[in-house]
Parts: sequence; structure tokens; C-alpha cells
Amino acid sequence: MTVLHALLVMAPLGEDESPSIRFPKGLCVRNMHRSIHETSAGFEDRDGFFSRVLTRLNSLWVVATYPFAGKGRDLSLHYASEISRLLAPHIRLGNRVQIGRHTWFHTWYKADTEDKYEVKITIEDGCRIAARCTISAGNAIYLERDVVISTDVLIMDHAHAYEDLSRAIRDQGTTPGGRIRIAEGCRIGHGAVILCSNKGEVVLGRNCLVAPYSVVSRSFPPCSILSGNPARPVQKLAVDAKLEAGEYR
Amino acid sequence: MSAKLPKTMKAISQQDLNSFGSLQTPWEDPLAWLTRTANKLRTMWLVWTYPFPAFGKRAWSHYSCHVSRSAARYISIGRDVALARDVRLDVSAAPGRDSPILIVEDRCGLQRRGVYSARNHIHLMRNVICAHSVLIKDHSGEVGESWPNATSHSRETTAGSIRIEEECWIGFGATIVCEQGELVIGRHSVVGANSVVTCSIPPYSVVSGNPARIVKQYDFSKGKWVLGCIRPLTVVKRQRTQAADTAL
Repeated sequence: MTVLHALLVMAPLGEDESPSIRFPKGLCVRNMHRSIHETSAGFEDRDGFFSRVLTRLNSLWVVATYPFAGKGRDLSLHYASEISRLLAPHIRLGNRVQIGRHTWFHTWYKADTEDKYEVKITIEDGCRIAARCTISAGNAIYLERDVVISTDVLIMDHAHAYEDLSRAIRDQGTTPGGRIRIAEGCRIGHGAVILCSNKGEVVLGRNCLVAPYSVVSRSFPPCSILSGNPARPVQKLAVDAKLEAGEYR
Repeated sequence: MSAKLPKTMKAISQQDLNSFGSLQTPWEDPLAWLTRTANKLRTMWLVWTYPFPAFGKRAWSHYSCHVSRSAARYISIGRDVALARDVRLDVSAAPGRDSPILIVEDRCGLQRRGVYSARNHIHLMRNVICAHSVLIKDHSGEVGESWPNATSHSRETTAGSIRIEEECWIGFGATIVCEQGELVIGRHSVVGANSVVTCSIPPYSVVSGNPARIVKQYDFSKGKWVLGCIRPLTVVKRQRTQAADTAL
């Protein structure tokens, strides 16, 4: 048994509060068994092991060398996730954030303007973003704590401008767009789209559930279950008032 | 944590943006060189060894783009076309056919994970942008006498023809399927995210939903975009095949 193996086995799994072996930033040991990257637990599969090692190395590399606006502990960034180093100053990641395969963070800045240092994508503690998501921020996208985003989700706070008939849509640039805020505990289903193409702010309240393949383009109150294209609240989550008021947090 | 910017950030101009608007500065990250070299090699390999009828200048393909060598005979790619990660150009033609079946004209952008599945004819005209996870498919599985009794090897028989005219924007996750007849998405139209299009769309309109409905159109008499439908959708006429009749 290697030393690494021994360390990993010793690490208490699943207990968030319990003290565990502290590795340098970027090592995600405690929650590896419920990582979004692989479903296999422990060392049952060599392939899972190698991809896990690559993910670990990538997390270390990105955390050590990328100039993020803020970065927490225990980050786990899949080795095939796409975060550009040049855009890292616009991204703030909290503790225990997990980012899946081929997930693409996109933002941009205009040269010689003040928003060069502005934080555009904020991901708070404990968010889990699965594979193949696209997060594209023109202004601000804010994911609060413990948001779980499933595969193939698009979150975009701007859109292509298409109003000018004399130019192609691909040459017209983007609309100014708005801001998107997804409050804590929300869950976004596979293939869902959260858009804010015009001015304003799209806020998903606390503990919203978004059904797979729905298209959300306006704000919704806490604890609603959204479905459809365009999304409508189909029912309300049966929760007590305390949870809705956020007193358990 | 303070945001410490790398020195190279100052010198980014429009030219450093690739055709998808993402940053491509060579000094970004040493690890990014691996990907970029792989992309370059893959593109060169495609140009030199695959039997494309046309592969325009400055067109590039991501290394993970799925094109098979036998399908390349039927794919024509224009200038400045971008094939992003995991784009699948899935083409197979009836034997004896020569002309290209999937035509991607100049300056099209095919974003990630798009699936373009052609048996008969798919034509993307100039300046079309297709967002992530788009499905464009011009055929369907056979629904005839063999179905549902023999589902295991149902042949794909019916095939339509899809033409997406200039300057269209196909939104994230949209599905465009045409089993029969011709489906035309008119010039400068916008297909909304996650919508499903099965009938032709007039030029200068915005559609969304499942099934797609017209949300907005350009009114030439007023000279502006108006909500609602002025020029209606044209439903693709479906001809009943004999096989389907006997099945019914």
C-alpha cells in the first residue's frame, strides 16, 4: 500500500465538519467519494484512479498558477474543464467547488476599460457543476452556496444581438445583458438553460428545482419547481416556513 | 486574494479572439499548448488526407471533432469555418451519390457537441452560427411495416432536405429535424434555446419553444422588430408512404 493510498484511506469520508488531513490548497480529499467526476468510489477501477489523479494534478496546477479573483480550499477541477487563464481574474471560486469535464467558463473584457478587474463569475462554497456545462458571463453570474448544476446546462447573462438586418448576427456582438443570481440550494436539471438576454436581473430563489431541458428567462420565488420551455412554476416545494425563510442556513 | 494579471493581458486585441470569441493568446498557459497543437495537427491531417470536396482556408477543427474518412467525401467546408470540440458530422449517402450532402459555407461556426446528421441534404449557408448541443438531422428511422415488430434494425429510409440560410443563429440545444420534404430556415432568423423545429421558418423571425412558434418578426412596413407572427410558418407537407399506409 502506497503512502498516498494510506493517506486517502485514513481521510474521513463524508463528514464535512470532522477534521481531516489538510493538504495544500487544491487537494480535494474529504469529498472525493462523492465527487462528480467519477461514480466509482475508492480504488475499484484503475481508470477511475488515473482520471482522478489527473484531476487532482489539474486542480493543483490551476489553483497554483491561475490568477483567480478568489479561490477557496478543496477545489476539484476536472482535467478537461476549460477555464482560461486569462479569464481567471474574473472568476471567484469558493471552498469545495467541483467542476466537471468539459465545463466551459467564458467571459471577456474589453481592453483598456475598467471592468478588466471586475469579478463576473462568482461560485460560492460547495457548488457542484457537472460535465459539459457552459457558464458565459458578460456582466455577473452569481451562484450562491450549495448549488448543484447537472450536465449540459447553459447559464448565460447576455445573448447575440440580432436586430440589425444589415449585418450578420455573428458580427453584431452581444446584447448588454443583465445579471443572474442563483440562490443557495438550487438544483438545475440536465440541459436546462438559464438566460438573461435583456437588462435586469434573473434571480432564482432559494431551493428552486429546475427540471431538465427547461428554459428559464425570468425570476422565480424560492422553493418553486420550474419546468417547460419557457419555464413555468409547476408546483411549490413542500417545505416549512423556516426553510423557506432560510433559517436553517 | 488579489487579482494578479499576467503581463500578456494588456496586449489582447480583436485579432487574438478566435472565431468563437474565446481568447487565444499563445502564452496563456503552457498546458493549453498541448490542446492547440493537437487542434492544429488534426486540422492539417484533415486537410491533407481526408477526401473533402472542399475545405476552405482558415477553417479549423478541434482535435475531438468526429468526422470519418468515408463521410468526408460528402462534406464540403467553406472558409473560416470552425468545428469545435465534439462536433459530430455524421454523414452517410446512398451508394452512387457524388454531390456533397453536408455543405457548410463560409464563416459558419459550429459550436461544441453539435450533431449534424445528414443522409440527403443539409446546407448551412454563410455566416450561420450554431450554438452548443445543436442537433440537425434530415432523416428518421423507418416507421413502416417492420415497426414496431422489428425495432432492432430499422433502416433509415425517409430523408428530407434542410437549408439554413445566411446569418441565422441556431440557439443552444435546438433540434432541427426534417424527415420529408424541404425545411428552410429563412435568412437572419433566430432559433431559441432548447426549441424543436420541424417546419419551415420565414426569413427574419425569432422562434422558440417546443414545437417552435414565432415569437418575433421583422416588420418591413414599420421597419422594426414586432412581437407576434406576420408571416406564418409553413408546415412541411408529409407524404404518406405506402409502407406507413399498410402499417396503419
